[in-house]
Amino acid sequence: MDFGFLYHAFGTVMLNPMNFFFVFIGLTAGIMVGALPGLTATMGCALLIPFTFGLPPVQGLLMLLGIFCGGIYGGSISAILIRIPGTPSAAATLLDGYPLCQKGMGGKAIGMSTVASFMGGTTGALVMTFLSPQIARVGLRFGPPEFFALAIFGLGMIITISGRSLLKGIISCLFGLLITTIGFDPLSGVPRFTFGSRDLLGGVTFIPALIGLFGYAQVFRNIEKMQIVPAVKAKVENILPTLKEIRSVLKTIFKSALMGTFIGSIPGTGCDIAAFVAYGEAKRTSKHPEKFGTGILEGVAAPEAANNGATGGAMIPMLTLGVPGDAVTAVLLGALTLHGLQPGPLLFRDHLDVIYPIFAGMIMAQFILLIVGLSGAKFFAKTINIDRKILTPIIFFLCVVGSYAMRFSFFDVGVSMIIGIIAYFMEYYEYPASPILLALILGPMAEGNLRRSLIISRGDPLTFFKRPISATFIVMAIIIMITSYYRIKKAMEKEA
Amino acid sequence: MLKKIGLMFTVAAVMIGFTVTNGIAAKFPTKDITLICPWSAGGGTDTIARALVKNAKKYFGVNVNVVNKTGGMGAVGMGSVATARPDGYIVGMITFQLSTFRLMGLADLSYRDYSLIQLVNRSPASMSVDAESRWQTLKQVMDYAKENPGIVTVGHSGAGGGWHLAIASIATVNKVKFNYVPFDGAAPTRTALIGGHIDLATTGIDEVLELYKAGMLRILAVNAFERHPLFPEVPTIAEAGFPNPSPIFDWRGLGAPEGVPEDRMEVLIKGFKQCFEDPEFVKLADQLGLPLVYKDPEGFEEFLAGMEETLEPALESVGLLKPIE
Repeated sequence: MDFGFLYHAFGTVMLNPMNFFFVFIGLTAGIMVGALPGLTATMGCALLIPFTFGLPPVQGLLMLLGIFCGGIYGGSISAILIRIPGTPSAAATLLDGYPLCQKGMGGKAIGMSTVASFMGGTTGALVMTFLSPQIARVGLRFGPPEFFALAIFGLGMIITISGRSLLKGIISCLFGLLITTIGFDPLSGVPRFTFGSRDLLGGVTFIPALIGLFGYAQVFRNIEKMQIVPAVKAKVENILPTLKEIRSVLKTIFKSALMGTFIGSIPGTGCDIAAFVAYGEAKRTSKHPEKFGTGILEGVAAPEAANNGATGGAMIPMLTLGVPGDAVTAVLLGALTLHGLQPGPLLFRDHLDVIYPIFAGMIMAQFILLIVGLSGAKFFAKTINIDRKILTPIIFFLCVVGSYAMRFSFFDVGVSMIIGIIAYFMEYYEYPASPILLALILGPMAEGNLRRSLIISRGDPLTFFKRPISATFIVMAIIIMITSYYRIKKAMEKEA
Repeated sequence: MLKKIGLMFTVAAVMIGFTVTNGIAAKFPTKDITLICPWSAGGGTDTIARALVKNAKKYFGVNVNVVNKTGGMGAVGMGSVATARPDGYIVGMITFQLSTFRLMGLADLSYRDYSLIQLVNRSPASMSVDAESRWQTLKQVMDYAKENPGIVTVGHSGAGGGWHLAIASIATVNKVKFNYVPFDGAAPTRTALIGGHIDLATTGIDEVLELYKAGMLRILAVNAFERHPLFPEVPTIAEAGFPNPSPIFDWRGLGAPEGVPEDRMEVLIKGFKQCFEDPEFVKLADQLGLPLVYKDPEGFEEFLAGMEETLEPALESVGLLKPIE
C-alpha cells in the first residue's frame, strides 16, 4: 500500500467539484431507485451504464458507486414507511422500521437508518481501502463446504425473525426453500417442477417474489383495513436521532458494520444476507430481545449498518479477484470492462490510478448520503400521511411496474401476484413472510453447495467438520440457534 | 391573393409530406432498434452486446438499445426474439445454449427459428490448474485420472453447458473418468480453482485471462485447432497429446425473428457487420481475449448445424441427451 499515492488520489478526487457532482447525482438517483419497490440498485446501475460511456472511467464509476450506495440505503425508506422493502437488503429493516412508523416515529426511523447507513458504509469503505488484498485471501478459502456452512448459519436466523411462533417460522422457511427448487438445476442439468413451461425454466425470479411477499400482501392488507381501521395522522417529528439514541446503538452499529463488511466480501454473498445476520445477532445479544419487532431503533440500525457495510465489502473480491461479491458488483464489473479495465489481480497492481479514486469515491459517497438522507428524510416521511385510498392504488401500480420491469415479463407480474395472494393468507394466519425471503436468498446457496461439497468429498458428510472454517460456522450456527431460542423464549415468558 | 398563396403552401406542404412519407416507407430503420440480450446485465454476453452497439448510430443512423430479457437459461430472451414481430426492429443475441435446448429437451427452440444475421465470437475451452498444482501438463492429469478413476475433481460452469461438454467429450474419447463439480457460471469456477477447492477447471480461455496474466493459474491446453494469440505458450489440445477432431466451442451470434423482409435483413446484416468491424469493438474484444469470428448468415447456419452434430454424442456421454422430436 502506497500511502503517499493514496493520499494524493483522495485529494484529487475530493477536491474536484465535478467528482462531487457525479457522486451526488448517482447517489440521489440511487436513493430514488432503491426506494421504489422493484427497482433495485442492480437495475439502476445497469440502466446507467450507457450514460457513463461519454465520461472518463473514474467519473463514470463514481456515479455508479453513488447508485450502489444510494440504492442500498434507499430501500430502507419504503421498508420503513410502507412496509415494502425497496431492495432485498432492506427486508430486515422493515421488521422494526414499520412498527416504528406506526408509532408515529417514521421520520426518526429514517433518520436512524441514515446515520447507521453512513457509519456502516464508512466502515465498509475504510476496510476496503486498507485491507482489500488481505480480506480477498480469506474469501478464497471459502469453498463449497464453507458456503454451505455459511448458508446454514444464515438460515439459523429464522429463529430470531420468526415472531411469536417458531414452528410457523420454520414452515414459512420450508415453503421458501421449496420455491427455490423450481427451475433448471445447473448441477444435474435437468429442469425441476417447471411442468414444461419455458418461463419457469429459470425458476421463480427473486425480485417478483419479493414484491409479492411484501408489496402485494401489503396492498391487500391495506384494502382489508381501509374501512375499519381509522388512519393514524402521524406527526413528522424530529428526524435527527438524539446523541443519546445514537450512543445507545453505537456498539450495535459497529458490530453490524464489521459483520456486514465481512459477509459482503465473501464472493457470492451480498448485502441482503448481511442485513439478516446482523439483525439476528443484534437481537440475540440484546438485553431486551423481546422488544425487537415491536419498533425499536436498534432493529433499524443493525441491518442498515450491515447492508451498507457490505457495499464496501462486496467491492473487495470484485476489485482484487474479478469475482463479483453480489449482483450489483457483477454489473459494476461489466461497467469496468466496458471502460477498458479488466478487474482482477492485475488491476490492483497496475491500475492504482483507478482503484484509489474508487476508494475515495466510496468514502465521499457516504458523506453525501448522510447529507442527502437527512435533508430528504422529512420529505419522505410525509408520504405516510397521504390518504390510504390514494396511496394504496399507487403502491399497487408500483408493484405491477416493478415486477414487470425486472426483465420485461408479464409472466413475472403473474408470479408476484400469486405469491402476494399466498403471502397475504399466510400472514393472516400469522405465518411470517421474512423467513420465506431468507429461504429464497439462502436456499440456492445451501442446496448447490451441499451437493457440490458431497460431490467433491465423494459422499462423505464429515467434510463439513473436517475443514476449520466450515466447522466453525456450523458450530456457531448451532450455538446461536440454541441460545437465541432460549433467550427469546425466556424474554417472551417474562413479558407474558 | 393571400388565399392563393395559402393554397399554394398547402399544396406544397402536402406534396412534401407525400415525398417524405414515401421516402420513409422505403427507408429502414426509422426508429431505434432493440437488441435483446438473454443474459443479465454485467455478464459476458451483455458486455459484448453493449460494446457491439456502442457506435451503432454511425452505421444504422439510429440507436440500437440493449434490453436484458433473462431467465430460463436464456430460453426466455431467445424465445422472445424468435416470436417477435418480424419487422427488423427487434433482433437478439443468440448464444451457445440455443444449440442444446432441443437436444436436452428443455425448450423447442433452435437456430431454425431465426433469420440468422451473423456469428460474433467463437471461444474455445481451456483446462487450467492452480499455479501451485503438482500437474504441469494435461498428460499428467489424464494419466493420473486413468489410474484413479473418479478422483480428480473437474469444475465447470453448469451441467450441459459448453465447458462441461467440452471436457466430457475429451474424457469419453480417452476413457478417463473425472469427478465433475458443476458451478454456477465461470466466475465461481475459477475462484474455486485458485482457492484450491477443485483440481482442474474448464472455462472459456478468455475467462481466465486475468488470473493467467497474474500467474495465479496454469493453463494446460486450449481446446482448439490453433493456439490463441493472447496465450501463445498454451498448447492446443492436440499438442498436449489428445487430438480432438471436433472441439466444442462456446459461441455468440445475432439473429432476427424468422420472416424479416429481405431488404431489411440486408440492412441489418450490413449494419451489424460494420458495428462488428468498428475499431473500438475490436479493441475491446482484444483486451477481453475474445476470439472474434465473423460468419455470414449461410456460414453461420452451417456452423450451427455442425455444432448440433458435435453436441449430440457429447450430451449422450453425460446422460443428458433427451431430444424433443
